[in-house]
Amino acid sequence: MLERTYDVFARKGRGDALAHIGYLEALDDELARVYAWKTYDEERWFEMIIVPRSAIIAVNREDGPFAANRETAGREGGA
Amino acid sequence: MTELIETAADLEPSTRKAFRRLILSIADSKRLLGIRYSDWLLGAPSIEAGIAASSLAQDEWGHARLVYSILKEFDEDPLELEHQRSSHEYCSADPLDHPFPDWAAVTAGIVVVDGALTVLLRGLGEGAHQALSGRVAKMLAEEEYHRDLGSAWFRRLADSRGEGRERLTAEVAGMLPPTLDAFFPLDTAQERLVEAGVLPASTLLRERFRDETAELLSLVGAEVPVDTEPPGDWDPVRGRGPGHPDEEAVERARGDRNRALFVE
Repeated sequence: MLERTYDVFARKGRGDALAHIGYLEALDDELARVYAWKTYDEERWFEMIIVPRSAIIAVNREDGPFAANRETAGREGGA
Repeated sequence: MTELIETAADLEPSTRKAFRRLILSIADSKRLLGIRYSDWLLGAPSIEAGIAASSLAQDEWGHARLVYSILKEFDEDPLELEHQRSSHEYCSADPLDHPFPDWAAVTAGIVVVDGALTVLLRGLGEGAHQALSGRVAKMLAEEEYHRDLGSAWFRRLADSRGEGRERLTAEVAGMLPPTLDAFFPLDTAQERLVEAGVLPASTLLRERFRDETAELLSLVGAEVPVDTEPPGDWDPVRGRGPGHPDEEAVERARGDRNRALFVE
């Protein structure tokens, strides 16, 4: 079984900006939803979303956790 | 239309007795379920699954406390019920008598035991007892995540075609009949509660549970029977089979060791 990494974003109020609050590993999207809500439950979030890290494309940085797809994205974009 | 029940003390004696059994069945099951989930805070398939198990355990203990407190309507002290009963007096469902041996059992427990309890709670939410129906909404909101976690893991294990699937199949087959007998009993005590408007008939609740779980349970070749009779040694006083939870779990539920040291 292969787990994927998901990044978790949330905001406390309707007008707030979404903030990156953490990450998790899960076998699929359904489990990731539950894990996110149960792991990052220290606040009464107005909204929480998760994004598979593989879907994140770094824009300006070539290092850090979100930069892994940058080269791939560049190739796909140029094809 | 059924009259609202402001306090269970107003019920006639045999219905009160049935109501007390129902409350203890739910509260004791949630207390034990919390312990069984908490056993997997460490050793779950991943850190996230362990955190989820911990969260489920907290939910169940909170629900148990809410439900025990309803027995104040009988002038019973919920604290005495929580801390002074022996394991032989527990009304929890039979599948919670022993620890869940692995994650397949945890998954079956979430879908079968926790799932059936949720159908029962929803039924009580429609019922005439004001305090119970008022407390159900919060519990049901938290149970949504239990259902999602259970169904996601259930599909995973059922699709695995390996030992996980075998273990899940065996656990579901073992848990299903005693769970139905405990939460949707087909006996006269339950009929009295139905007549008083406390909750819908057990057959209707079984049908709802069957419909909700049909797709998942079919993955392991199981289905919910609607009109099975309980076994001959079923205990009508406690509304469960003749056994009882293991002593260690009940000692933990009561907090015996630390209460003796620090509280009493």
